[in-house]
Amino acid sequence: MAVKKDLSIEYLGVKCENPFFLSSSPVGSNYEMVAKAFETGWGGVFFKTVGIFVADECSPRFDQNDKNGLPWVGFKNMEQISDKPTEVNFENIYKLKRDYPDKIMVSSIMGSTEEEWRELAKMSEQAEADLIECNFSCPQMTSHAMGSDVGTNLELVEKYSRAVAESTKLPVIAKMTPNITIMEPAAIAAIKGGAKGVSAINTVKSITSLDYENLTGMPVVNGVSSISGYSGTAVKPIGLRFIANLAQCKELEGVPLSGIGGIETWNDALDYILVGARNVQVTTSVMQYGYRIVEDMISGLSYFMDERGFDSVDELVGLALPNLVPAEELNRDFKIIPKIDLDKCVGCGRCYVSCYDAAHQAIDWDDKKRRPTINDNCVGCHLCLNVCPVKDCILPGEIEWKEGRTPTEIKVKHYYD
Amino acid sequence: MSKVIKKRYTEEADYGFNLRTAREEARRCLLCLDPPCSKGCPAGTDPGSFIRSIRLNNIKGAAETIRSNNILGGSCARVCPYDRLCEEACSRTGIDKPIQIGRLQRFAIEQEKAFKMKVLEAPKKKKPFKVACVGAGPASLACAAKLALEGYQVTIYEEKEKAGGVLTYGITPSRLPEHVVAHDIKTVKDLGVKFVFGTKVGRDVDLNDMDYDAIFIGAGLWGDKLPDIPGVDKEGVWTAVEFLKTARVEKTKFKPGENVIVIGGGNVAIDCAVTAKLLGAKNVRIVYRRSIEEAPADMKEFKYALKLGVSITTEMAPAEVLGQDRVEAMAFTSRDGVSTAKFKADDVVFAIGQKPEDMTAIAAVKVNEKGEIKATKSGKTNLAKVFAAGDVVSGGKTVVEAVAEGKEAAESIIAYLAKKEGVK
Repeated sequence: MAVKKDLSIEYLGVKCENPFFLSSSPVGSNYEMVAKAFETGWGGVFFKTVGIFVADECSPRFDQNDKNGLPWVGFKNMEQISDKPTEVNFENIYKLKRDYPDKIMVSSIMGSTEEEWRELAKMSEQAEADLIECNFSCPQMTSHAMGSDVGTNLELVEKYSRAVAESTKLPVIAKMTPNITIMEPAAIAAIKGGAKGVSAINTVKSITSLDYENLTGMPVVNGVSSISGYSGTAVKPIGLRFIANLAQCKELEGVPLSGIGGIETWNDALDYILVGARNVQVTTSVMQYGYRIVEDMISGLSYFMDERGFDSVDELVGLALPNLVPAEELNRDFKIIPKIDLDKCVGCGRCYVSCYDAAHQAIDWDDKKRRPTINDNCVGCHLCLNVCPVKDCILPGEIEWKEGRTPTEIKVKHYYD
Repeated sequence: MSKVIKKRYTEEADYGFNLRTAREEARRCLLCLDPPCSKGCPAGTDPGSFIRSIRLNNIKGAAETIRSNNILGGSCARVCPYDRLCEEACSRTGIDKPIQIGRLQRFAIEQEKAFKMKVLEAPKKKKPFKVACVGAGPASLACAAKLALEGYQVTIYEEKEKAGGVLTYGITPSRLPEHVVAHDIKTVKDLGVKFVFGTKVGRDVDLNDMDYDAIFIGAGLWGDKLPDIPGVDKEGVWTAVEFLKTARVEKTKFKPGENVIVIGGGNVAIDCAVTAKLLGAKNVRIVYRRSIEEAPADMKEFKYALKLGVSITTEMAPAEVLGQDRVEAMAFTSRDGVSTAKFKADDVVFAIGQKPEDMTAIAAVKVNEKGEIKATKSGKTNLAKVFAAGDVVSGGKTVVEAVAEGKEAAESIIAYLAKKEGVK
């Protein structure tokens, strides 16, 4: 029987039916799209960012890059905020909330002046949105008074957060840019200004690949291109890092976080939740596959919770945080020597090649039998385990203690996907 | 009801990769330290290298590897029995199924033509030696190309009107399209190898009278072979060689009868059956005297024949061709001696192996009882200046093996001529 779990979670005083949201992007641009997304199962939508400024878009505006022929490792987007008239957007937000009262409508806004931010906040409230997200982070705006240039300026973040918070009774969320060395000061500035929640990450400034016909980046717009936001699987590790940093920041204690960046499966969503996000926002994978992916997120997360005995998503939030420690706190007294299962080994020699060329020459290769053996040079780096193409062929084996170190109880990972 | 494939005679049996699908497949490759696939290729085509090139998006490099190692890389990509060569050796088999090496080779070598690449170039300065090659099939082409690349002046003599041997006059175009063979042959021609067509050595010319410093015989197996049973002289009885050649020359103008029986269990038998089916024969039956397990044909070829609706009957040996002047039916006796059978037939094709024509007419080479030239692995015969390789020596193996043997014989010729170089 299909496992159905209650995936609802409270977020900034609003009850959400599940933690799966569409992020503010092309995937939530009009009434029909969002209505379809709601019907498919998304818990809420951060509507495509609305400004007083109405965007004039270029063509083409997207690109994706691959690895060894696997497409969509990462995705690049040059689209700015909404290209629809401001009033039309708020009317859509209003109608969507009216027609789908149990779903969460977040009004994502972006002003270029304090006045504009105030006005947009008021309009959001009038449109009966549940929440407001301030977009301080779009890296491809045509004006430097808007977008990620604002998000890296602590003064502006605080000022605009205040302008919005003062203009509405709706909870305000600040969406941060990863194009910054550390995110905490900007997030703190937003909270100081009156924001109640923080979302991260917006896209990473990028050039995906070069076009040899025009000698520019992709996509090619009349022979040239621009640096713009990168998203998808490739940025997920960066997003997780920023969410964990924010979640572990003392000054931000209790601030609800929304995780964004490279979420495609329930595992991706769970990863964000485990490092402190109360919900997740998705765009790139929807651009690739459509809204339907949420069905497997809901089902997959339900099965996981059932398997592990969790009754609410809330229990999962930040569960991994105590186990994410600074590098200086790692126990460096031991090494775990990998164990090679020679019955599973297919003799490709990849472990040998990688260990020799990139690690510690700790694998001997029998070129007649075509089988590897780990020798005394092994430092337990586990590069071999990571390159081996055969499932469970190389796994953690013996624990060896460095000379003069005192053996203690060690926790080891046993199961690899 | 089983779904049977219906194709035209010249329609390709199989699909190819494009850049995207090729890279997807190359991504499955384990990039072995010592690629067993490369060791599994008799001609040294080196799949390990060209697949890695495809994976790393160096498509032209992949084409270069194939063409440099195997002058008939395009044809081999289509007709090689990968399932018992490179793909059988593939390490990925230990996880799920082998990399589709043949199909990747086909893709990579197609790029050579698409990008108008010229991978091989013969030296401008020629060596003062002339070599004659007899026959324009795979062994001769491989030998000639290798010699031309070293600067030797090579002339190929071919009885027929076109080069390619079995590639042109044997294998069905559905499996090996004409343009693929033509492009392989062009790469040989572009090396400066001369071709003399319509000229049978030993009948029309005598190489022994001419100023060749070495002679290579790669004449293949074009002698008729029919079993010693009653009725083989009837009209409608074919040897595989004649049947396939007629089909290749006349193409769709060739109309086999409604009921065709092909006798044999090798790839040639399957080619005959497929040809008959594709040319419109309604009932095509392969009859083989041994079991499937003992059959020399590749499983993938059997499968293809089955998919076309060809029936396969095993452990029945031909006993008699029945009919008045023309064949009307074929009688068989079972291997266990228990039963006999008669099948209606308008055409009967014997694909029971081929034999060489009289090779002693070319030179005074020693031959075995089957008429095959006695030669060493490196292609040396009893005569110092005469070399031989390919089916005429082995009695019939694969195209890729003929390429490998032709290449090896070329090495022997080079060594032989190098000794003479000081003298000239």
